Amino acid sequence: MSPRLQIIIAIVTAAAFFYIGDKVRTRVIELKYALVWFLLALVLFIMDLAPTLLERAADLLGVTLPINMLTLLGFGFVLIILYSFTIVLTNENRRTKRLTQEIALLNKRIGQLENALEEAGIEVEKPVSETADPRPGHKIKV
Amino acid sequence: MSKKRLIIIPAFNEAGNIVRTVEDIRENAPSFDYVIINDCSGDDTMRICEKKGYNCINLPIRSGIGAAVQAGYLYAKRYGYDCAIQVDGDGQHDAAFLEEMADELDKGKVQMVIGSRFIENQGFLSSGFRRLGIRWFTLWIFLLTGARITDPTSGMRMVGRDVINFFAEEYPKDYPEPETAVTLLQLGYSIGEIPVRMKHRQSGESSISPTRAVYYMVKVTIACLMARLGYERFFGLTSSGS
Repeated sequence: MSPRLQIIIAIVTAAAFFYIGDKVRTRVIELKYALVWFLLALVLFIMDLAPTLLERAADLLGVTLPINMLTLLGFGFVLIILYSFTIVLTNENRRTKRLTQEIALLNKRIGQLENALEEAGIEVEKPVSETADPRPGHKIKV
Repeated sequence: MSKKRLIIIPAFNEAGNIVRTVEDIRENAPSFDYVIINDCSGDDTMRICEKKGYNCINLPIRSGIGAAVQAGYLYAKRYGYDCAIQVDGDGQHDAAFLEEMADELDKGKVQMVIGSRFIENQGFLSSGFRRLGIRWFTLWIFLLTGARITDPTSGMRMVGRDVINFFAEEYPKDYPEPETAVTLLQLGYSIGEIPVRMKHRQSGESSISPTRAVYYMVKVTIACLMARLGYERFFGLTSSGS
């Protein structure tokens, strides 16, 4: 691997590390989900600056070019990251679904309550629009 | 003491059918309560239900047929229903068969009663390709569980309290019918079928367009296999919801 490429990779991984670190600091990314990104940047950085380590790993797996070993490592990590996000997404889906159902049931009870109050002669202020938006946030056009 | 029975009507853009569906139920299945689950329809479904004073629950975010039906099971669980049946909002299902299905469930031999088009083969039987798909699921479920279900995709399914409690916690988001049949069999429940006639949908479009058919077949086939392998075990769920 040429020194030039080594330097480029070192700079990029270090920059990515600190960039994500800053995002965690400002709460844009939850630390829990950033850990695996940190690990990716760290491993690539170390392997990049320790050519003997990289060459031995490449030898061990039968990878001819050390740079391909680096690519393989990066790819493997990306797969792990994607996998973990698929799990997160599944859980979020389940939770959103249940929240949606709960809100619907609650809305129903509120409606019944409002009606009962009105029948009892108690004035209830109702929201002007109750139409739900199937894709929240998408309706807004500037 | 009479039992509390609930009809769950999932509705998505069924403005043209919902009135007829509900009136059919009121006329032909008066011992049943009903609840419409409006899955964020873009048409007048919600306004019609409000104007007519129908018992309707409106999901605030479009969540899919499975989530809508599950909201119905959640409602059934919360309000203490002994029995719940799904009747699609498109008017395909004939309410005249509900009493008969309830009688079958009350016998206690089975925990789910499916209204099947393919026992007497009368009424609207779906198009050729779809019937081929249905046949495949009948065969697939037989291979997986040894049970014969002639109409595994029928939405007309009646269940008792145990299964209501289970469905309220665990129900697939889309295309739930064949998969949940396998899940129930896997949990040791039995499924029975009653011959019914279905009608051609009165207006609107079916939820399964031809382009989605391939996805449907693949997804449901794998889902049935997963249910047979008992994936729900990994979520720490058991059948004893009550």
